[in-house]
Amino acid sequence: MYFADLHTAFASIEHNLGGIKHLILDKLKDMKVCLAPVKNLLDDMSNPPLLELICPAGSLPALKAAVDNGADGVYLGLKDNTNARNFSGLNFDEKSLTEGIRYAHTKKRKVLMALNTYPQPATLSRWHQAVDTAASLGVDAIILADPGLMAYARKTHPQLRLHLSVQGSATSYEAVNFYRERFGIQRAVLPRVLSLAQVENVIENTDVEIELFGFGGLCVMVEGRCLLSSYACGDSPNTFGACSPGHAVRWEQTPKGMETRLNGVLIDRYADNEKAGYPTLCKGRFEVQGETYYALEEPTSLNSMDMLPEMARLGIAAIKIEGRQRSPAYVAQVTQVWRAAIDAVKKDRATFKAQPAWQTALAKVSEGSMNTLGAYYRPWK
Amino acid sequence: MKLSLGPLLYYWSREDTLAFYEQSAEWPVDIVYLGETVCSRRHLLRLPDYLELAEKLSAVGKEVVLSSQTLIESESDLKALRKLIADGRFKVEANEWGAVRLLAEARLPFVAGPTLNAYNPDTLAMLAEMGATRWVPPVEMPRQMIKDMLTALPESIHLETELFGYGRLPLAFSARCFTARHYNLQKDDCQFRCLDHPDGLVLASREGEDFLAINGIQTQSAKVMSLAHRFNELADAGIDVLRLSPQARNMQRVVDIFRALAEGDIQPAQAPAQLDRFMPAAPCDGYWLGKAGMEYHSVAHPVA
Amino acid sequence: MMLPAMQLPAMPQPLARLVANIPAWPLVTPASHAFALAANLVAWPSLREMDWTQIHGRRFCVQIRDISLSLHFSLHANGFRAERTAPADVTFTATSADFARLALRLEDPDTLFFNRRLLIEGDTDLGLGVKNMLDAVELETAAAKMPAGMGRVVLLLRRLTTQS
Repeated sequence: MYFADLHTAFASIEHNLGGIKHLILDKLKDMKVCLAPVKNLLDDMSNPPLLELICPAGSLPALKAAVDNGADGVYLGLKDNTNARNFSGLNFDEKSLTEGIRYAHTKKRKVLMALNTYPQPATLSRWHQAVDTAASLGVDAIILADPGLMAYARKTHPQLRLHLSVQGSATSYEAVNFYRERFGIQRAVLPRVLSLAQVENVIENTDVEIELFGFGGLCVMVEGRCLLSSYACGDSPNTFGACSPGHAVRWEQTPKGMETRLNGVLIDRYADNEKAGYPTLCKGRFEVQGETYYALEEPTSLNSMDMLPEMARLGIAAIKIEGRQRSPAYVAQVTQVWRAAIDAVKKDRATFKAQPAWQTALAKVSEGSMNTLGAYYRPWK
Repeated sequence: MKLSLGPLLYYWSREDTLAFYEQSAEWPVDIVYLGETVCSRRHLLRLPDYLELAEKLSAVGKEVVLSSQTLIESESDLKALRKLIADGRFKVEANEWGAVRLLAEARLPFVAGPTLNAYNPDTLAMLAEMGATRWVPPVEMPRQMIKDMLTALPESIHLETELFGYGRLPLAFSARCFTARHYNLQKDDCQFRCLDHPDGLVLASREGEDFLAINGIQTQSAKVMSLAHRFNELADAGIDVLRLSPQARNMQRVVDIFRALAEGDIQPAQAPAQLDRFMPAAPCDGYWLGKAGMEYHSVAHPVA
Repeated sequence: MMLPAMQLPAMPQPLARLVANIPAWPLVTPASHAFALAANLVAWPSLREMDWTQIHGRRFCVQIRDISLSLHFSLHANGFRAERTAPADVTFTATSADFARLALRLEDPDTLFFNRRLLIEGDTDLGLGVKNMLDAVELETAAAKMPAGMGRVVLLLRRLTTQS
């Protein structure tokens, strides 16, 4: 018996489920059905998550900073190209992962593992092993982008909870429901391209939990559908797990200003008084018809805090904070602010107002010290 | 080797678009992809227009495929997608997984487009099982990986492989319209400025190097991907169809040269010299070689 | 709620002048020597368990902007080694106060970078790799391994600076 089949069966009895949950579990036990997935499913259905705070962890100290400052869950990845923050020195090996899971679980927080790059034929087993590692160490869910890998995970570890990564580029409920039907995914992270009205349309037409990005680095492009990095330097997030990987980036202070180059291409030059951004192509300054400007996007971070009440109303399951490449200091600061904000909005949606001190703290750690509502606010497009 | 005319990525006037496809009936291409893959605001041709073109082209022996929109954002986008699939007369190229779901549900054969991100044989086999009869690898996929993919596929699976072989590379999609942004316009009031840039709007580095091209919500390479000089490497990698992406001028010349290559009338080494004056920008071929996409390696100076 | 963090004091002017006037030897400067010595004493005990083989022998330069001081060193199986004043594989540039804030985990390097207070020149991958590996060191564990009560001073300093 499979996850998704059970889901379909239970969808109609979602209400009042709490009371009959044990009856169902007992019955299934008699039928010798694997109980773990059923139990997880029933837990979710009788108590759907709302605005869980999911924070980035690029290292053990960052994980602890997230947990200690109020994250409901952390997300992390292994030290290779099986995840989309494949940077030197970052991420977890089996030892630190084991310790991280222990630390989070002791404090009743979740650990989600990102396996959100696209496996390639010559190295497919690396992704399979990573799924096996995640299952055996007991992460609470894995975050996947590739359908082939989802099929492997579901077949090999039917009890393992699956989330659809933002790198899966699902922007409509038809796409989200595809992954639901085929692989029983329970949550989808939507790309940062939809307005909130469009997000609402997705939510109304699927029973997959929806997770949205709340704060941090802003991908201007549909995640999973951007090859700018590999066009310039040969490595893309899809295959290599990094956009503008360190080996291709050069910063240099010159008499004209600080220059950022990607594989030799000058992508920006900053005067001494100008704020800088990440060395990604979408945040560079280029010349178009004689005019030099940020042709795609300024160095800025997403900050959707003003939209928290609306996100609460829509029933957004989780808010994701970007930044696994950043330090424990960032994780601590941002987690603390968002914990306070989410607690406030849950307490009273109607009177919620983002406190100026929160916004100041977030702006301080933002790219270019600037924030945007991004696509959630339609005129941005 | 079959040749295909990929979907028109730009926004041209209705007259220009209709004229282009009218002429294409005469060109030596085997397959023609029709439809708007980039922006839902582009409306000068609608589904009935494409269907009419499709009928005309298939009447002269072309295989016609209708391409679906890559970024689906709204219910009206989905409505358009459902209509495209419901017609059922022509095969559809699915460019995102919502389309795959609808096509599989309708049990219709389809072409798996390049933005489905089939990077491994498991995913590719799944697409075949759901009804894909042809796939277009992600444009960044190197020759060796395509070979590995095809080698690893179960023998029971028969899929045609179509490679993006000529044109400005479609590299990224966004919710934001960069053309509208260039003109300080909002996307919802873009005044259809894409019409003024029939081959995209070139974006140069601050050192004057042409780098990318913006085409509404799509970002392309400024350079033109061309595998003309490597035409004899294609069959060995398992390529069945080479996709030529429409450009505003001299498309017929481009098609003719690739046809001559396919017929063996000219040698790959001769092709660049013939093609050069018909290209809107310098060539690149890095992706095919597993290198940065913007690189170009002529065959006279083979890659180490 | 977060309070504005206390500013770490800039290095006193006379001391800054003194340090800047240490003659720049063509070979290894006394400052680089002193740094390697101190780093071996204070930091190495908590770093030695990590796998640094990838960066063995790579040459680092730390430039302290406000006192015009450059420290040249490399890392080997047995710890830090001072290096000659010559172009390094990667160079980090910031003020003494910002380096101190980074070392105490009070500041996020990316934030300093966005604000143009930290510059990484040369081999970016090497620079980011070291930054990320240092982030993975747990400050409490590191402090416990520092000699003669220094760890307690470090943690106290950090607490004072965050809570002021």
